[in-house]
Amino acid sequence: MNKANVKVVKAKTKRVLNVLITYCILILVAFIFFFPCLWLILASFSKSGSIYSFDGFFPAQYGFDAFKSLFTDTVMYNYPRWFANTLFIAVMSCILGTLLTILTAYCMSRFRFKSRKAMMKATLLLGMFPSFMGTIAVYLIMTQFNLINQHWGLILIYSAQAPMGYMVQKGFFDTIPYSIDEAARIDGASNFTVFVKFILPLSKPMLVYTALTSFTWPWSDFILPKMLLIDKDLYTVAVGLMSLGETEFARFAAGSIFIAIPIIVLYFCLVKYMINGMAAGAVKE
Amino acid sequence: MANLSLKHIYKVYPNGAKAVNDFNMQIDDKEFIVFVGPSGCGKSTTLRMIAGLEEITAGELKIGDTVVNGMEPKDRDIAMVFQNYALYPHMTIFENIAFGLRMRKIPDVKRDKEGRPVLDKDGKEIPVMRKYNKQELSAKVNEAAEILGITEYLKRKPKEMSGGQRQRVALGRAIVRHPKVMLLDEPLSNLDAKLRTQMRSEIVKLHKKLETTFIYVTHDQIEAMTMGTRIVVMKDGFVKQIDTPKNLYKYPANKFVAGFIGTPQMNFFACTLKKSGDKVKIKFTDADAEITVPYAALMKTTPHYLDGSKNVILGFRAEAVSLDGAGDAKIKVKISHSEELGTETLVYGDLNTEGGADTRIIIKAGGFRQFEPDAVCTATLDTEQIHLFDAETEESIMPRIPEFNYLDCSVKGGKLTFLGITETLPPAISCGEGKGELLIPVSAVKFGGDIKAKVTDSETVNGKILLTLEINSGRLYALSDEERKGDVSVGIDYKAITLRAGGSETLPMPRINCLDGTLIAEKKDGATVYSLLIGGEKFAAPEEVYTKIFAATTGRKAFNTAFRYEWDAYGLSVGESGISAEVEEMLDYGEEKFARVNACGQTLYVKTDADLSGTVRIVPDAAKVSVVESERRIRIV
Repeated sequence: MNKANVKVVKAKTKRVLNVLITYCILILVAFIFFFPCLWLILASFSKSGSIYSFDGFFPAQYGFDAFKSLFTDTVMYNYPRWFANTLFIAVMSCILGTLLTILTAYCMSRFRFKSRKAMMKATLLLGMFPSFMGTIAVYLIMTQFNLINQHWGLILIYSAQAPMGYMVQKGFFDTIPYSIDEAARIDGASNFTVFVKFILPLSKPMLVYTALTSFTWPWSDFILPKMLLIDKDLYTVAVGLMSLGETEFARFAAGSIFIAIPIIVLYFCLVKYMINGMAAGAVKE
Repeated sequence: MANLSLKHIYKVYPNGAKAVNDFNMQIDDKEFIVFVGPSGCGKSTTLRMIAGLEEITAGELKIGDTVVNGMEPKDRDIAMVFQNYALYPHMTIFENIAFGLRMRKIPDVKRDKEGRPVLDKDGKEIPVMRKYNKQELSAKVNEAAEILGITEYLKRKPKEMSGGQRQRVALGRAIVRHPKVMLLDEPLSNLDAKLRTQMRSEIVKLHKKLETTFIYVTHDQIEAMTMGTRIVVMKDGFVKQIDTPKNLYKYPANKFVAGFIGTPQMNFFACTLKKSGDKVKIKFTDADAEITVPYAALMKTTPHYLDGSKNVILGFRAEAVSLDGAGDAKIKVKISHSEELGTETLVYGDLNTEGGADTRIIIKAGGFRQFEPDAVCTATLDTEQIHLFDAETEESIMPRIPEFNYLDCSVKGGKLTFLGITETLPPAISCGEGKGELLIPVSAVKFGGDIKAKVTDSETVNGKILLTLEINSGRLYALSDEERKGDVSVGIDYKAITLRAGGSETLPMPRINCLDGTLIAEKKDGATVYSLLIGGEKFAAPEEVYTKIFAATTGRKAFNTAFRYEWDAYGLSVGESGISAEVEEMLDYGEEKFARVNACGQTLYVKTDADLSGTVRIVPDAAKVSVVESERRIRIV
């Protein structure tokens, strides 16, 4: 072998080694991420139910018992009911929250009014505090309005907090050229028509994103429903699962796994709208 | 299909920046107006104010006979084409064009299912407003698409079309509604050069076909010159000149217009003028050159520029100089380089053959000619085609309508002699005796006096008629509203003249009286009365005045703002109660009498028939007031 060939072989080995190391790291990271998930899935198929009967780290026997009891044994733990409650709260919060968020974002993006900048800064600042900081205050307000132990109380809180994160949507609206609004206004459209006929169709990807985020938060939230809901029948899945007895770990795991299904379905339904370039061809950049 | 009127239009931003300053213009029906100027000159802002996309700070905008200041864009019956097309990306081309129609309703009568009109109990048709139906929509869209040649693309989306086609769609969207006014904001600046030339002529054709008023904004002076019936040249928010392309080129009102219009740029040189006999010597300041032109070519030049002391700027176009022409006005040019453009050659040179100060000159020569660099040639200037500007103000000093008639005169025993005629001076003009000079504004020459004159020339400039009168072989310019010929009789409005004789000077009576004040609001019998507050006295303001003030200032700020109220001498009168004023002098101009009074520290001139003295009360006519906001200097009313 001459010198040049040695160099080529050396470079090739180096490249292979590089790829190998990269993949090793990636697999390791993926494993760290997915192991708890995997473990939970395995646990949900445990036959005995209790975590104490595990054979070391993994269940001793596997079966569908936990999933079955989740939907059949509803006397003590009414999982289907909790699921329905959660679905109702999440869907309503998603609709109201999305509406409020995009209206806020549209307002901030398109209208110039006094104290606009101050309001934007204030919301940004308030958004930096974790939402559970205000739980005591929220609880007191809810008692005043007699909304404790009611789903609508939760829906109101979720919808009202959603517009705090309007910044992303505003940023998206800002990318839609203002001259489209102006052209539409000259053509005879009112502000509302501009919003419904132009801004909304052009911001489908952002609408999907907003809807997804405002659905997932109420869907998986624990603190607020734990504080505001008293009756077991009104529980959401998160609170309900926490109320399960110690020996019901398999059922807990099955409930946790099952709750992910609607989000996955929703995501696959909406993902086709999350594409870029909606406004292509509108204006000359 | 409407005329437009813009009166004292201002655009001032909240930070105090003035984008448009006192824009005045009358636009006739079916005109093609072009706003042209460098970027940031306020041309787009003006267009957007007409469209209603930008609020008008002060002034009055009329489309047809309606004041549209506060009107929504959709109610103004205008259409606009944007620089970046602004098409609706999610709609097809058909929908893009049809959208404006869908948003509109048309008057019709109530009809039954078969389309027959339904009658009310008196047997009359019932008027209703309805939307366009499908057939009407597609007929109108197809008609517009056909005009623009985009019929085959109607089902496409904007992103599937090229730049030129998109601009056609934008035009189609505008013309389909048959608006009163078409507004175009630099519609061609995003296209390539070839397409631009093609679209330029198509837009001109479209204008002829539609017979609508077009307002077109561009920064490209070639577009302006080739398309407009009239051009508005703007700079830094000010209108520099409004005229036809030909007049802008031939009679630029200032150095900016002269330099902006025409390629290559006009040649400018600093120089001085000295009149001797019937010749005027033009001496170049930065070069050892001098030319002589006949005084006849500079007839309208203001005389005090001709004494050799004032700095002026001489301007002439590249085609007004030639390297092989015949003539008296010759200058030496040292050639630096030349550009062959095919039909012509542009020769670049310097007047200063020794080098030194920048005296760049561009000369147009015939096609394909070779010039040796550094060769010194003699260029001949066409003295008919020169322009002169004041070095400081940059305004033309040979305007098409001169401001004054400059005349030699003499005063003796209360009699004024000029142009071989003798007139008795009115008592208000007291002047020393002897020889002097008389300045009569062209607007102060009135028809129907006792001076006999003969019209030797008449010229229409911007709708006004400038007459050249001959009086005892002397020349007098006068403005007239109508065409006049042959013998006429004229008189002089003495209150407008300036007379310098015998070491004393009489100035004209100021046309504007100013008073400072504010606006106040009071509750009276449950209704709010707005008044002008001047020197502690209140004068009820007419609705037109205070609404305009409120529109120009915002909210309660109007009551904390200082205003300058202005009237001419006829807008003030003497009455029982009003602003207290001391009479300083009575001015008797023969036919009319005025009192010079002092009120609130201001000198005012008031029309009166009686002889006044001592303290009087001045009553201003609030309906005739014109209001200027003192701080931002905005004319509001």
